[in-house]
Amino acid sequence: MLKPSLAIVQKDLRMEFRSKESILAMWIFSLLIFVIFNFTFEVSRLVMLEIAPGLLWVAFIFSGMFGLNHSFAVERENGNLRSMALMPVTGGSIYLGKFLSVTIIMLLFETLIFPIFVIFYDLQLTATLFLLIPVILAGTIGFTSLGTILSAVSVHTRNQQILLSLLLWPLVSPIIIWSVNLTSMVLAGEILTNFLPLLIRIIAFDVIFFTISFMLFDYILED
Amino acid sequence: MSEIALHLDSVSKDFGRIIALRGINLDVQPGEFVSILGRNGAGKTTLLNIISGISTPSEGEVLLFGTDPAASSNKSKLAVISHEMFLYSNLTAVENLEYYTQMYRVEGMEDKISSVLETVELTHRRFDLVSTFSRGMMQRLTIARALLHDPQFLLLDEPFTGLDQHAIAMLTTILKGQKAQGRTILLTTHDLHIANDLSDRFVVIDKHRVVYDAAVGALGVDELRSRFFSAEGAQS
Amino acid sequence: MKTLIDKIILVILLLAFLTSIFLIFAWVPPIKASNPAEQIAQRIFYYHVPSAWIGFLAFFVVFIGSIAYLWKRERKYELLSVASAEIGVLFITLVLLTGPVWAKPVWGIWWTWDARLTSSLVLWLIYVAYLMLRRYLPDGNKRANLSAVVGIIGFIDVPIVYYSIRWWETQHPKAVMASSEGGLAAPMFFVFMFSLAAFTLLYVYFMRVRYKLLVMEDSINKQIKEMEIL
Repeated sequence: MLKPSLAIVQKDLRMEFRSKESILAMWIFSLLIFVIFNFTFEVSRLVMLEIAPGLLWVAFIFSGMFGLNHSFAVERENGNLRSMALMPVTGGSIYLGKFLSVTIIMLLFETLIFPIFVIFYDLQLTATLFLLIPVILAGTIGFTSLGTILSAVSVHTRNQQILLSLLLWPLVSPIIIWSVNLTSMVLAGEILTNFLPLLIRIIAFDVIFFTISFMLFDYILED
Repeated sequence: MSEIALHLDSVSKDFGRIIALRGINLDVQPGEFVSILGRNGAGKTTLLNIISGISTPSEGEVLLFGTDPAASSNKSKLAVISHEMFLYSNLTAVENLEYYTQMYRVEGMEDKISSVLETVELTHRRFDLVSTFSRGMMQRLTIARALLHDPQFLLLDEPFTGLDQHAIAMLTTILKGQKAQGRTILLTTHDLHIANDLSDRFVVIDKHRVVYDAAVGALGVDELRSRFFSAEGAQS
Repeated sequence: MKTLIDKIILVILLLAFLTSIFLIFAWVPPIKASNPAEQIAQRIFYYHVPSAWIGFLAFFVVFIGSIAYLWKRERKYELLSVASAEIGVLFITLVLLTGPVWAKPVWGIWWTWDARLTSSLVLWLIYVAYLMLRRYLPDGNKRANLSAVVGIIGFIDVPIVYYSIRWWETQHPKAVMASSEGGLAAPMFFVFMFSLAAFTLLYVYFMRVRYKLLVMEDSINKQIKEMEIL
């Protein structure tokens, strides 16, 4: 069950790291997001700090979209998605494999983006900042668990990238809203009493979306 | 091996406004080499999808080695070669094959990989990215990939389309070898001469039904062509 | 091809909506509000809220139809889901149009990024995406499977969307039907229920018509194909 998933992860990461320029491009792109936002909203530092959590997640989402599109464009090339359907593995383990590789790549992007964010917004590196780790993990997993199955859906259409955004953004918006809320709390250094319940709520929905996608993935591979 | 390799009993595929197959009956014995002929859109691809278990018929029964084609045990007995390559161009030849051995749980990965690479004469390019390969080389690698897990049943969907002469000759030799080993082979093609050369039996599908099913030699190539492919005789 | 039942429903619908216009604009007493514009605008409530409820009902039918399709693989469940998704989008569009009509005189703005408004918009977007997906795919099993998957995930997301956005403070009037403190006055309640019934019947009628049309399209196309075969 786990072995084929890991084979998919190995293959995906191999290809991803072979084309390092795409990782670099993504990193520069998120840098641009911060710069452009700074120009378009000429705001005081105080306001900037208020919109910073949203900005951080915008950069994350763009990197995630990039990763998702790339990951499934590769499967579409040469009919590999069909080839997966022919293999003696369950849809669930294919989903798990793609989910893991997409999540690892997105987390990697986020680790690369975060330092720029710290510098640009002059974040104080305090101990509370560590609370961002579970927040980012939970938000990212929510994004990728939905994103993986919806990419597999949209990859069958001619307009894969647009359709993925159309499908994914509304569906993932609750998780992103909560993640932004939690990020604001951490960055402001005010951990309210509802921090933990909200985090647990994100994790609960991660589990729900992951389980449903895991169960439904067989139907996506079928012809 | 008294067990029948493939059994289709009045299989129809009919979905919404699409009609793909109508009452197909087909039995294939183990070790048999059957060529399925038919015009584009006659339903050949749908038939292969049903046999390979990625599509379910709306009516009728399909048994591959006595069970459901979608069963995991059947999927590991089956190999599909089509005009789609099923390769990752950003991986090397060996990496592609490694991935397949992992997905098909092939024992003795390294020996297996070097032996199939030998068969398709790609050993010298094994560490090169597939994106640097010529089309013919990619097709040879596709054949190697299909042979990795010692499939009992080979489904070949127009495998000769776009192949260069060298690759055609190689594939023909490989298929003969596979047949000699007792593998069951189902081939769809436009090329009546190759089909005549390789197979034991011809099945012609026209307008979603089986219209002809007889051993090779019952009708000559020219006779077959004039009976079923007269309108597009020039194509093959 | 309208059957007798369709004709009867159509007549009832016509009478019901004429009656509801009378009830809403002439019969039911206006609410107590300091702003006279609000007294008039409030009447849109009788269209706004039933539309929202029917929208939810329609998306629930998409959900059930999608599950049934994946389970039974029968075309009718696919067609049922599509018909319901289209009609659901129509009703939520009505919600998004009638809302601002009310908001402008009462709040002084057409739109605000309020919890209820945002979540309704997100809901609308989810099902528009569902319909877009179907547009992009050729007819067949694949499309049926993929849209059923989206139909299931989409509906599971609906309560989450509503839940998540309740985090924000809302200006939107409370859900009057559910509130414990009194709720609606008796005549208002009656008019609301009447309107809800009319909207439900409208949904049923639309479903019947749209579903039959889809089935008819199928059978015509199939006949053309059959003729080609023979």
